[in-house]
Amino acid sequence: MRIVVAEDLYLLRDGMVRLIEAYGHQVVATATTGPETLDALRTWRPDVSVIDVRMPPDQSDEGLRAALAARSEMPGLPVLILSQHVEQLYARELLADGSGGVGYLLKESVFDADQFIGALERVAGGGTAMDPAVIAKLLSTSSPNRGLERLTEREYSVLALMAEGLSNHAIARRLYLSDSAISKYTTAMFGKLGISDDDDTNRRVRAVLTYLNKS
Amino acid sequence: MRQLGLWVARVGVGFVRACVVVVVSMLVPAVWAAAVALGIWWGAGNPWSWVAPLVLVCVGTLAASRPVCRMVRFLVARWTATAIPAGYRQAGPVTRMSTGYWWNGFSYERTRRDALLDQKWRVRWTDPANWRDVRFTGIVPLTAGVVATVPPVGVAAAVLGFGRPGVAARLVGALGLVVAVASAPYAWRLVEPVAVRFLRPSPAMVLADRVEELTGQRADATVAQAAEIRRIERDLHDGAQARLVALGLSLATAEKLMETDPERAKALMRDARVGATASLAELRELIRGISPPVLNERGLVDAVRALALDIALDVAVSADGRLTLDPPIESAVYFGIAELLTNAVRHAHASRARVCLARDETDLVVEVEDDGRGGAEEQAGGGLAGLRRRLAVFDGTLEITSPPGGPTRVRMALPCESL
Repeated sequence: MRIVVAEDLYLLRDGMVRLIEAYGHQVVATATTGPETLDALRTWRPDVSVIDVRMPPDQSDEGLRAALAARSEMPGLPVLILSQHVEQLYARELLADGSGGVGYLLKESVFDADQFIGALERVAGGGTAMDPAVIAKLLSTSSPNRGLERLTEREYSVLALMAEGLSNHAIARRLYLSDSAISKYTTAMFGKLGISDDDDTNRRVRAVLTYLNKS
Repeated sequence: MRQLGLWVARVGVGFVRACVVVVVSMLVPAVWAAAVALGIWWGAGNPWSWVAPLVLVCVGTLAASRPVCRMVRFLVARWTATAIPAGYRQAGPVTRMSTGYWWNGFSYERTRRDALLDQKWRVRWTDPANWRDVRFTGIVPLTAGVVATVPPVGVAAAVLGFGRPGVAARLVGALGLVVAVASAPYAWRLVEPVAVRFLRPSPAMVLADRVEELTGQRADATVAQAAEIRRIERDLHDGAQARLVALGLSLATAEKLMETDPERAKALMRDARVGATASLAELRELIRGISPPVLNERGLVDAVRALALDIALDVAVSADGRLTLDPPIESAVYFGIAELLTNAVRHAHASRARVCLARDETDLVVEVEDDGRGGAEEQAGGGLAGLRRRLAVFDGTLEITSPPGGPTRVRMALPCESL
């Protein structure tokens, strides 16, 4: 994969590049400010990019704004946002265009390199990778919407794990269920949410977006 | 007919009010007159006869000035709805020392009663409001008092004039009656401008009060800041710092075990990673308590929106435009809203809340309303009192209406030049 890394702190940027390259991916460009990030995304159209929220020149949310601007120019451009803190507000802004290929994780998710690279690959493939904290907060403030209230408790927890970006197999392991049981739950769930599509990734993304945008 | 009735009522009310003003404003002159009468009665022959009347004048004026001013303030507020702040200096607390004596801020006394009495007179003696009152009791009979005597004097002239035979006397009586009736609705009104002009706190007194208020606030702010810094230090010391030490230990041990026992080394490395994640989470919470990242990144309105999404409550946030505020004010308002929403969840058991941020000509006005069970009360040392104190640093105000059964409405207003 061709990847752009946008991070203003040298140590983190360097470490991230080394980690990504260790997994056989190619870092085509690095950026250290908001405008540089936007330029790099426009020039390289990377398969996926890793972007820090807070960057110079203002040390506010330049990275996030650059990612949103790039995605409005190039819909579906996969971005993985890394931050020292996760905010539902930002998650909603990222998911608002409804076109997948979005990740939003805490910086320490790089501690588990396998999982981090897995998330990066999922986002590149048009999926989502959301921080569990965002998901948990969404769970606690639920309001009935778009068929979600018809889901059983089990289907709901499957959906929540799906929103974190887990595969069917990983969900099965987490819930101590068989793979076939999970695929039964997901099919029932897609039906209840009114999502009929042949492409599984696409269906997953849409289910997750329904879930994340529900309130 | 109706107009006539109204006019009669106005004359009647005006007459009564004029009489009240006369009585109140002439109290002190009456004391003076009594003193003079006493001096004359004792006779000019006695060379010491002026001493007692002089004492009477001094003590009488001093003692009567404050009640007279209180009455004038009350009457003006009652009749014209003009509130005149008194601005008396407040006495400090009287405390018992370990020696058993009572300290009142000026001196030690053997009993609490003595201490209070001593304090009362000392405060009064040094209070500029006291001398303003004395001056006012001298001014008011010569201005409002004299004018207010017109209707009663007119009525007296009428009574005397009609009671005597003769055309001239009758003429004087009729004239007195006309003057009394015509002046009755207006004669008492001079008391308001006089009171406003001479009874309000002087600029120096207002300034002195302000200095006192600011001194108190500065002390509060310093104490709060020091406590906050100590809390942060303690959190870092017991949390992140200790965890980093443990992390270093794990890594050092793992390094040592790498060759001899790779399995244990691996387990230690895993522990280290978990420790690093935990200390990051702790630091994140700490930072959120000091200065929420969204507030720095997006400003107040989006920070409140983010807060509304995080809290277990259905919160509607409305704001007019993008408010640009000074960071300290932004932070105070943010934490204020956070506290109110937390109260709505924790104490009022609300399910919905509304936060409205708006600005008028001079102020930033924030309203927080919930549908909880109400009954919120401000207790000394409680959260709401703390909030009021934090807002007061910026000259902000806090209004709470929370009847039992709800809803609770809180309004914070902060003057902001930067709007």
